[in-house]
Order: sequence, then structure tokens, then C-alpha cells
Amino acid sequence: MPSRRRTGLTRLSRYLVGHGLRVALLSVVGVCSAAAPVTALLIVQDAINNGMQAHNRGRLGRDVVIYLVINALAWILQTTLVRGLARVGQDVVLGLREDLFDHLTTLSLKYFSQQKAGWIIARLTSDVDALSDVLSQGLTTLVVNTLTLLAGIVGLFILDWRLGLVALVILPPTFVLTRWFQVRSHAAFLRVRETISAMTAQIAESVSGMAVIQAYNRERAFLGEFDASNDANRHTNTHAQWLNSLFFPGIEFLGIVAMTAVLWVGGHMIASGSLAIGTLVSAVFMLNLVFQPLQELSDLYGQVQSAGAAMEKITTVLDTSPEITDRPGSHRAERIEGDLHIDRVTFAYGKEPVLHAIDIHVPAGGCLALVGESGGGKSTTAKLVGRFYDPDDGAIRVDGHDLRELELRSYRRQLGVVLQDPFLFAGTIGDNIRFAHPEATDEMVADVAQAVGVDRIARRFDAGLAHTVREGGAGLSAGERQLISIARALLADPRILILDEATSNIDRPTEILIERALDRLLSGRTSIIIAHRLATVRRADEILVMEHGRISQRGRFDELLETDGPFRRLAKELKGSEAQLQGGVSDADLQSEPVTGSRASNSARVASSEPE
Amino acid sequence: MSRRSLSVDPPDLSLWPTAKGLAKLWREQWRLVTVGLVCAFFYSGLSLAIPIVIRHAIDSSIAPTNGHHKPLWPYLAAVAVLAVLRFALNFTRRYATARTGIRVEARMRELLYQAYLRYPRAFYDRHATGQVVSRATNDLYPVRYFIGWGMTQGLQSLMMIGGIAVVLFLVNVKLAAFALIAMPAVFVLAFSFARKVMPISRQVQQLKADVTEAADEAVVGIEMVQAFGREDDVQARFAQKAELVRDGVLRQARIEAAFLPGLLFLPTLSIAAVVLFGGHDVIGGTLTYGEFFLFYQLLLQLVWPLEALGWILSLAQRATASASRSFAWLQGIETVPEPTHPTSLPAGALAVRFESVRFSYGSGSEVLSGVELEIAPGEVIAVCGPTGAGKTSLLNLLPRFYDPTDGRVLVGGVDVRDVNLEELRNAVAIVTQKPILFSIPLRDNLTAARPDAPWDEVVAASEAAGVAHFAADLPDGYDTLIGERGVNLSGGQRQRVALARALVAGARVVVLDDPMSAVDTETERHLVANLRPALAGRTVLIATQRLSTVEVADRAVVLDNGVIVEAGTPTELLALGGVFWSLFGEEISAVA
Repeated sequence: MPSRRRTGLTRLSRYLVGHGLRVALLSVVGVCSAAAPVTALLIVQDAINNGMQAHNRGRLGRDVVIYLVINALAWILQTTLVRGLARVGQDVVLGLREDLFDHLTTLSLKYFSQQKAGWIIARLTSDVDALSDVLSQGLTTLVVNTLTLLAGIVGLFILDWRLGLVALVILPPTFVLTRWFQVRSHAAFLRVRETISAMTAQIAESVSGMAVIQAYNRERAFLGEFDASNDANRHTNTHAQWLNSLFFPGIEFLGIVAMTAVLWVGGHMIASGSLAIGTLVSAVFMLNLVFQPLQELSDLYGQVQSAGAAMEKITTVLDTSPEITDRPGSHRAERIEGDLHIDRVTFAYGKEPVLHAIDIHVPAGGCLALVGESGGGKSTTAKLVGRFYDPDDGAIRVDGHDLRELELRSYRRQLGVVLQDPFLFAGTIGDNIRFAHPEATDEMVADVAQAVGVDRIARRFDAGLAHTVREGGAGLSAGERQLISIARALLADPRILILDEATSNIDRPTEILIERALDRLLSGRTSIIIAHRLATVRRADEILVMEHGRISQRGRFDELLETDGPFRRLAKELKGSEAQLQGGVSDADLQSEPVTGSRASNSARVASSEPE
Repeated sequence: MSRRSLSVDPPDLSLWPTAKGLAKLWREQWRLVTVGLVCAFFYSGLSLAIPIVIRHAIDSSIAPTNGHHKPLWPYLAAVAVLAVLRFALNFTRRYATARTGIRVEARMRELLYQAYLRYPRAFYDRHATGQVVSRATNDLYPVRYFIGWGMTQGLQSLMMIGGIAVVLFLVNVKLAAFALIAMPAVFVLAFSFARKVMPISRQVQQLKADVTEAADEAVVGIEMVQAFGREDDVQARFAQKAELVRDGVLRQARIEAAFLPGLLFLPTLSIAAVVLFGGHDVIGGTLTYGEFFLFYQLLLQLVWPLEALGWILSLAQRATASASRSFAWLQGIETVPEPTHPTSLPAGALAVRFESVRFSYGSGSEVLSGVELEIAPGEVIAVCGPTGAGKTSLLNLLPRFYDPTDGRVLVGGVDVRDVNLEELRNAVAIVTQKPILFSIPLRDNLTAARPDAPWDEVVAASEAAGVAHFAADLPDGYDTLIGERGVNLSGGQRQRVALARALVAGARVVVLDDPMSAVDTETERHLVANLRPALAGRTVLIATQRLSTVEVADRAVVLDNGVIVEAGTPTELLALGGVFWSLFGEEISAVA
């Protein structure tokens, strides 16, 4: 742990580079502003001893002026300090946040599939915020109060070393109390945090699941759960407040004890003539400068602890090295032709290989369809082509180059991916289409939208393509999001296209739109299609049936249907439900011509042959 | 007959009713409140007494004006005793007051939560989940701090300020006047700081939320980002948001820099006045060293109560603002009206009937415009129609998620509005379009609707709904925890669990709103085959986009533009060549 904390600090100090002068200056300012109240008290001492006691009105007046000047200076110094430290702290935080984010975007998909999204996001937000709190407000409190505490002790010794020693006797129990409180209160704070988040989660879940709670009359059960978490939260809070209520009066009490001790010793020293009254009075006030910072620093302890824990977690992310990187000597991929060779590729996520020496060749501009039960290795194959993973054995070659020899980003910019559940970013529909090609003009976006039928979706909204979709695409149906993601891929003008279950789970009218959009999207590009729908795969030049990480059958759509094999079984199963309704569909029916032609002719035919 | 729609967004309460509401909650804790106030009173007294005793120690023993040193220890012993007493009082006051706040907070949260459980669907349509949650959590903190600290601290501050002023004026009127001139500015400064910094810190919170959103988006959408090689763009976008946060925090720091050091500086003006004028008095013999000490010490003690008043005043504003919103919800939102003389549902299978049902959401256009539909007991009916035809709205009327704006919905021949809500919802099970599961083990999710369901029934339902199929592969089988902290099920799996849950409920009317939209086609086929026997004896309404699901039904109706346009068996409807055919016909033609 300590070593990790140190690496955390070294990491943070990295962001101070370029701030050297500022930090040095702020250190000086900090020391001066902590020295100010101590000096002011020394002046008060002089005013009492050499002004009042010596009946020197001039000296008294002079001391008061100096006192005011010092405090005015302290005012300016503190203003500078608060602003300066916030600046430094926030620049560190910003640097860290950006680096963390940049680093995350380079990590492989494997990392993102292993870590929950919520966990990763918490590193970028609440953890960095915890650091930010300490580094902005906390840093000022820490610096000012620590320095004031030290300056106060030094000040006591300057006033009179014997009084200083008296104070030093009282300080150890105070430190012990403070330490006890810090540790206990931090633990209590963590428990409070836990119960708060449990309670918030319970409320959030109830609110988002209210329809089910009400529909099934579960109100009483949920109220019971809520009461339990609300009570738990009340208890942890009460305990934390108990500690607080004990500590702050405790420090106040110890302050009085110290004051009494100083007065006791000082009183006798004055009686014996070895101490001036002004020194004693100033010493009593100087004690304030020692005890007050203790209270403020205690509040900070919890923050610093949380920030330390946050930094540890952030460090684990920063220490994760990206698995997929550019190798030394990799070269930029110029415009690729799209000749794709999956060359005896074996791959395993863990120990068990999911692909066994797969060998596939797709000529430039060709269309390959992968079918088969889930878990057969279809998506894995597609992910390897996108170089989201590197093969354990064998190689993926594009135009004869091993993907690992190509500069990753230059390759991926020529890649288009359409996934089953397309992700839309917060922004307008147009922005989402433009995602992969930010320089595209509005006309280009509008053209693409029209080409794939997104314009029809856009027409539903007043703002058209400028309609803002919320993150994830709420408010749009799955099919509509799919069309937008196809438009996005089309605008990106990729050389290689991957469609992973892009046409599943979509109602039929939208699917027809998508099928048409695909015709447009696929032409002139190398493509890999993973699909369940026969209508989607029949357009492929070659269809591969994948089972358990192996290719069990390959061929053209018609050939495969004619042969008794896995594809035919699959096709029958896929069509089974519709077939029942239709009173049976013969194999011959499955072999009719592709659907890319006129829809009307198909419709007419079905209408006329309907029903038995 | 047009019904007034329920009010689900009442305006915030004004100050007076809010204060009355808070006072009521405060009074509920009167014991703790009294303890706190009594302690605050005596604490203030002791805080004045201690410096007064020390003053006498200085004047009579340490630096006696007449040169005759009295013994010092009785004074210091008195101080020690007072300090112990003060410690006890201070502890009791803080603890009692804090507990008041914690209890009031918990109480308000409970009131809100209880209300949430009764609020109609329209309320949840109107308000985002985050807002509803934060009103019962974060929004309550100002109330808690105000009641759990502000009220008592405020009264104590007033007592301290008054007490200190009285003591100082009694000791030396002229010096007191000089010393106290600068002090009210402390209060003003603290108050205006709190006023200025609150909006900015809220802004910063909002900016942080934007960063969270950007992070969330990039992390969830990482595959897209990487697939298109657009890391640079997202990084730039994120950096922009992160910079806005930094700028916000720096703005906040600038305000702090402008005010906080001033709060330290102002009291030094008073001290300077005491040293200067008090010093002259000491030289002139009209002020003792003890009195000088007393002035100095009490001025130091005055700073915090003045500052605190400033903070408390601004806290009071925030607390009443947030309480006024909470009370507005508690008092202004109407729950689903329950019948005063409920009619019971008949025994056995239930018929369902929609009688010229019209419906619209609030002020929006009409979604259902006179639906007439009769479903025999035990009949399975499919409700089809293009997106936005009103299928979901129609189904949601059955468990009274909404009431029709006109016409009647009858279950077992009884208007649903005449049935006790709990009885109705026991009889009607619904599977919503977006499956909602809870973060509890799979087993408990399945029995959520009927916790005492025999296990073999649960297993049978799980088989029929296709849950058993994947449950075995989960790490802990049926005991696997579902959700963020456990296993995230796929959309199709979640739908199957929701379906099984509805089957377990044992309701006589089952409403399925597109229950298999996210289930892949192969699995759906297996499900459809199993579903029919599992639904035997129940009246079932299924809304669906898929022909394969329609097959389960005895009869299908087509809803278009808020009315039923076609009805019949699926085969008849296909032959009709109308809306139904346009919905599903092409599904067949595409492959046939």
C-alpha cells in the first residue's frame, strides 16, 4: 500500500511540471501568511509590555499601526494563496482527468468487458472529484492550518520558552484525541457513505421500478425495505454526529486546560518577576493559534483519506497497459483495397479457444456472411477483423499486411461497424451520423440520411436531423437507431464493413428499410455480415456456418440450401414459426430469388398465394 | 364525461405554509429540541463566565492593581470546573441538535417515499427518475442542516452576541462602542459570501454532472469510438467538459478568495481598536489588564457567532426552498382515486371489456378514440398495430396505470374504478415493454409478485418463459444476484424473467406488452410453443410486433390511430390484406 500511495503522489507531482515557480512562490506566501498572526501577537505583546506597562503612548500607537499593516498583508497573502492553490490544484486535477480518460480510450475491449461501466466511470468522476476537493479547498486548509499550527508553537517559544514547554505538555493528549477522532470519524464517514448510497440505490430502484411495484401490490414490501435502509442511514449518521459532538467540545476543553496551565505557571512567574503581563496575555491568545487549526485539520483528514483511496484506484487504471497497441515499425494504412485474409486464426478469451485455426478469404469488395448458433465464434471473428483483439495464433491480413503491422487508428478509420444495439451519443441525429466523419458538410449528412431512409425518422421531429437524441438514443426505436448507425457507417465510407446482428430485433417495416439501406451500404466494400435473418444473409457471396469455433459448412446461399447440412437445419428453424402460420413452407420456397429487387412483386406473389 | 386529469406537477409552496410544515416536523422532536435549546442557553452563559473569571484572576492575583496578590488557584479551579460543565453542555447540545436534524430528515424522506408508492404513472411520466430520487435524498440535506444545526446555533449565536455586548458595555461603554463598530460587517460578509458561492457551487455540480455524462457515454460507447478510430474527437470533447469544471472551481475559488480572508481581517480591526484605545485607558488607569484581556477574548469569541448567523441565514433560504418543493409534492399530488364502496371481482376466469374507451395523456392529442373490445374469459388475444397506434396505452388501462378520459374498462363485468386497487392489481398481471427487474437474486425477482409461491410453480413458470434455459448457466443458478452489483442479464433474458414473474403471479388476467421484443428469433420460437399451455385458463392480452408471437393468440385485433380497425384469427386477418397484412405479410414474403 505505501508504495502504491507513493507512486500515486509521484504521478500527481508530474502535473506540477511547469508550475515550479508558482509552487515556490505559493510556498513563500503560505509561510508568510501563517507567520502573520503570530507576528501580530508578538506586536500585541510589545504593545502591552512596552506601551501600556511602560506608559509609552507613542510606542502603543506605533504597535497598533504595525499590527494593522501585518493583518492587511495577511489578508492579501491569503487571497493570493486561496486563488493560487486552487489554480495549481485544478490544473493537476484537469491533467489527471484528461490523461485518465485518454488512457481509457486506448484500453482494449477486453478491459471494458471485464470491468463494469459504472466502476470505470466512477474513477473518472467521483474519484477525480475527491482529489479535486482536497486539492482545491482542502489544500488551502491543509497548508494554512498546518503552517499556523507550527507557527503558533514557535510563537509560544518566542514569547517565553517556559510557557512554550507548558503548552507542549498539553499538546500530546490533544494530538492523541485528534488522532483518535480522525480515525474513528473517517470510519464513521465511510459507513455513512455506504448507508447513503445503499439508501439512494433503494430509492432509485423503487422509482424506476414503480410500475412493477404498483402492478404487483409490492408497496408494503418496498416500504419495509426502505424503512430498513432509512433507519440504517439514521444510525450511521447518529454515530458520526456522536463522534463530532464529542471531539469539538473536547478540543475546546483541552484548549481551556492549556490556557489554565499557562495562566497558572505564568501567574507564578509574574509573581516572581520573571515574566511580563503582556507576554502572558499574548501567550494565552497564541494558544488559539495552536488549537483552532486542529479542529479544521480534523475535518480534512477524512477528505485526504478518501482522496488517497481514490488515487489508488485511479492508479490501477493508469497502470493497466493497453493490449492492442501500435508495434514499433508499424506503418500507416493508406487507402486499403479490402482483400481480407483470416489466416488460420486461433483465439481464446481465457483458456478455452473459441476459434480453432479459422481460415477465411474475402476478396476486395466481397461479402461474407457468418451464421450459426450463438457462441459459435461469429462475433469473435468480426472483432478480430476490427483488431479489437489480436489472434493467439495465425494472422489477420488486409491487402496482404498483417493487421499488427498497420497503425491501428489509420486502419480503423477505414473500418465501419454496425452493431446489434447501436450506440447513439448525446447530440443531434446529424451529429450522430457525422460521428465517424466530423468534417462532413450538412449536405453530405442530409444525402446519406436520405439514402438510407433516416430522413423519414427525422421528419417525425420538428427539428429534423437537428433533433437532439439523449444518450443511448432514448426516444428512438431499435430499428430507427439502427438506421442512424447505418447512415453513420455509410458516411464514414469504410473499406471494410462489419455488421454484427444489425438486423435483429426490429419490426418488419423498419427491417425492410434497413435491408434497402444495406444494399446501398455494402456496394463496393468488403463486408462481413453476422445475421440470423435469411433475408439478410442471402445477399452474401459466401456463407460460412460456424459451430464451436470451427467452420462447419461454407458455400453460396442456394448451394447450402440444396445440401443437407447445418445451414438447412438452421434455415428451417429460423423459418419455422412463420412456416407454421403459412401452413408449411417447403425447402423450395426458401430458395426463391433474392429480395433486393422490387418489393411490390414479392408482395403481390404472397398475396396471391395466400392462404391455404 | 371528461375527467379532470390528475395534478402531478404542483407549484412550490410559499414561505408561510413551508415554515408551518417544517415547524410541525420540528415539534415532533420537541424533547430533543428542548434539550438542545436549554443546553445552548447555559453554554452561552458559561462561555461568558470563563473569561470573566480569568479577568478576575488577572486583576486580583496575577497583575493586581493594588499590588496585593491573592491566591491564584481558586480562580483557576473555578475555570476548570466551568470548563468541564461547558464540555458536557456543549456535547449534549450538539448531539441532541444533530439528532433532531437527522430524525427530521429521515421523517421527511419516509413521507416522500410513502407518497411515491402511491403516486400515479402520470407523475413518473412527468418527472425524471433522478429528480424524484434527489428530492428524497440530496435535496433534504439543507433541511437537515438547518434544523440539525442552524436553528439552535442561530439562537445560541444571538444569545452569545447579546451576552457579549452586554458584558462589554457594562465593563467600558466607550471601548465597547469602538470595538464593536466593525463586527456587524462580519455577519454581512458571511451572508453575502454564502449567497454568492451557492449558485456557483451548484453550477460546478452541474458541470461535474456533464463530465459524468461525457465519461459515461464514452465508456459505454467505447466500441463505436474505437471501431471508427475517433478517440481524438471524444478526448477533445471530454477535455472541453473537464476544462469547464476547472473554470467553475476556479470561479468558486475567486469568490472564496475575495470573502474568506476578509472574515479573518475584519475582527483584527476591532482588536486594533481595543489595543489602541484600551491601551490608552490602561495607561490612564481607567482599564485594568484583566478588563483588557476580557475585551480581547470576548471579541475573539464574537467572531464565530456573527459568521454563523450569516451562514445560517443563507442556509435557511436553501432549506425553505427545498422544503417548499418537497411539501408541494406531499400536499399537491393526487393519488389514484380509490372507490369508497368497492365492488369485488367475481370468482373464476375474468372477461375483459373496453367500452368506447378514449384516452389522452394530459393535454396531448387523443391516443385512444373509442376502443370497443370484448375478450371472453380465458381467451388469448393479440393486440397488433404500427408503432404509436396506442397498444401500450390500451394495455396500461387494465391495471389502472391510467384511467380512461372517457368510456369504461370492465374486468369480470366490473368497472375497474369500482374495484379496490389492490384486488384489481392482484387479478391483473402486467409485463411492461421495458422489463424491470430488481437488484435482488433471480429467485426473488421471479417471486416478486407472489413471495409465497410454491417453488415447483416457479420452476414451471421459468420453464415456460425460458428462464430455466439460462438460469442453470448463471454463476449461482437461481440465487444469482441480478443487476449492477451482480450479473447483468441481456435484454432478452430480462424479458423472459419478467414474463416468468407474471406467470408466477397467478393473476387471472395477464397483460403482455411486447414481451419478447428483445428475445432472439430462435428462442422466441421455443417460448411461443411453451407459452400457450402456461397461460391456460387465464384471460390474456398480448401486444406484439412479431407474427410468431401473434400465433399464441386465439384472436388478433389491430389498433390503428386509436381505434380497432381489424379483428379475427391471424389467418383471417392475413387474408384480409389490410393493416394486419401490411404489418406481417412482408415478414412472410421476405423469405418465402
